[in-house]
Amino acid sequence: MPNPITATLRPYWQYRDLVRNLVIKDLKVRYQGAILGFFWSLGNPLALILLYDFVFTHVFRSNLPNYILYLVIGVLHYNLFAQAVSQSCESLTSASGLVQKIYFPRILVPTSSLLFTLALWVIAILILVVLYPFLGGIYHWGLLLYPLALGLYIAFIWGIVLAFSVLQVELRDLKHMVDIAVMFGFWFTPIGYNINVLKPTTREIISLNPLTQFMDLFHALLYSGTLPALNHVLIACAWTIGTVSVGMVLFRRKARHLVEDL
Amino acid sequence: MSPAIIVEHVSKEFILRHNRAMGLKTRFLGIFHKNKREKREHFLALDDVSFTVEQGEALGLLGHNGSGKSTLLQIIAGILQPSKGRVITNGRVAPLIQLGVGFNSELTGYENIFLNASLYGFLNKDIRKRVKDIIEFSELEHFIDTPLKNYSSGMQMRLGFAVAVNLQPDILLADEILAVGDQAFQDKCLDKIAEMRGNGMSLILVSHAKSQVKQFCNAYLSLDKGHIIKKGPIETLVAEQEL
Repeated sequence: MPNPITATLRPYWQYRDLVRNLVIKDLKVRYQGAILGFFWSLGNPLALILLYDFVFTHVFRSNLPNYILYLVIGVLHYNLFAQAVSQSCESLTSASGLVQKIYFPRILVPTSSLLFTLALWVIAILILVVLYPFLGGIYHWGLLLYPLALGLYIAFIWGIVLAFSVLQVELRDLKHMVDIAVMFGFWFTPIGYNINVLKPTTREIISLNPLTQFMDLFHALLYSGTLPALNHVLIACAWTIGTVSVGMVLFRRKARHLVEDL
Repeated sequence: MSPAIIVEHVSKEFILRHNRAMGLKTRFLGIFHKNKREKREHFLALDDVSFTVEQGEALGLLGHNGSGKSTLLQIIAGILQPSKGRVITNGRVAPLIQLGVGFNSELTGYENIFLNASLYGFLNKDIRKRVKDIIEFSELEHFIDTPLKNYSSGMQMRLGFAVAVNLQPDILLADEILAVGDQAFQDKCLDKIAEMRGNGMSLILVSHAKSQVKQFCNAYLSLDKGHIIKKGPIETLVAEQEL
């Protein structure tokens, strides 16, 4: 008897090379003709880090040890969220030419948009890998858990990406609102500062931000060289289950009539 | 042998939204201005359509603009969901609603072959086996490594057609696309389709040219305002016109 899980996944698995080809196309088209090519995906986060480092060490003083490492971890992981979510809004609307002409599992469109962002991000994370020992990073066994934390984070983002891609079809303002929200989100997440320096009420508010929990995982593993607190892991898992289920339900409901609304 | 396509009592209702609110501004204005509010109108594009296409059969879909033939094709292709009824297809369906779906003008012809074919659910390793035939059929050997933006529209269509027919579909759904390229290439396309039909491929051809349907199909179905008004073997269509 065929396994029900493999039976539901098979139609998607059959299209795996479509996702690959779409991501490769986006990568090729994006840096077409640029002499420095893929290096541009390093440029943006690098410039941001230099800028924030200047602001937080010379303008507002921070007394965190190895401050640049703390900052790099936060900026890189926040960038993944910001770019994926912002791009996802237009993933379906800009693929209307495909969606209206041929059938393939629609969920692959926002998914490949996320994977494209992820592919660029992997190039950017090389900065961190190279600089890690120089910035005071600690090699410890807990680092082996990092892929799990990252996987959880990507799943969390995927849920949001699915939801926003179909919502954008009906509400074309979404992208503009998301771009502004992402700007605010940066300061409502402990990226440039430590959550413990905040006043208790502010800290409570910032803790409600799901990204705070994820940042805590990354900072614990990569910056402090410790294991993240269990309650933070559980809250992060709960958020992930939440966004993935909302995203899937919304997507399944809207995808049936997507073509008519595009 | 089970039929290639079974269409059972398929109806499709569209909701026409006049003044559709796409953004917050229009939604907000709609609160105050009655004429800026969204008006919904139900429109029945297909009404209780049933037919079957046997394996190896070729069906011509005839009808005026807006008679529902393209909607029917999109439903069979799985792009649209029917409001009522169901469609069962046996085998690999290749919708040719547009040639070269997903072609990107910045990529080369070769890269676009892979992009286009993977939209039909093909894996890259299977495409690699066919890519030689595709390029040969398109007669674009000299241009295949140049970006698609340097192709003429005829060349792009040739490439799109070459991909679609070389994927060996069991069912080809064609929406008036059999006018590809110059006369010589058109003849080649028609020969190719005849050859595929000989190998047992089923075909649905949407057209408003009766002559084209007569040339390719052995059955026809005529739609008007979402209803089937006539259907039968192709000979009856011929006889009617000669009268």
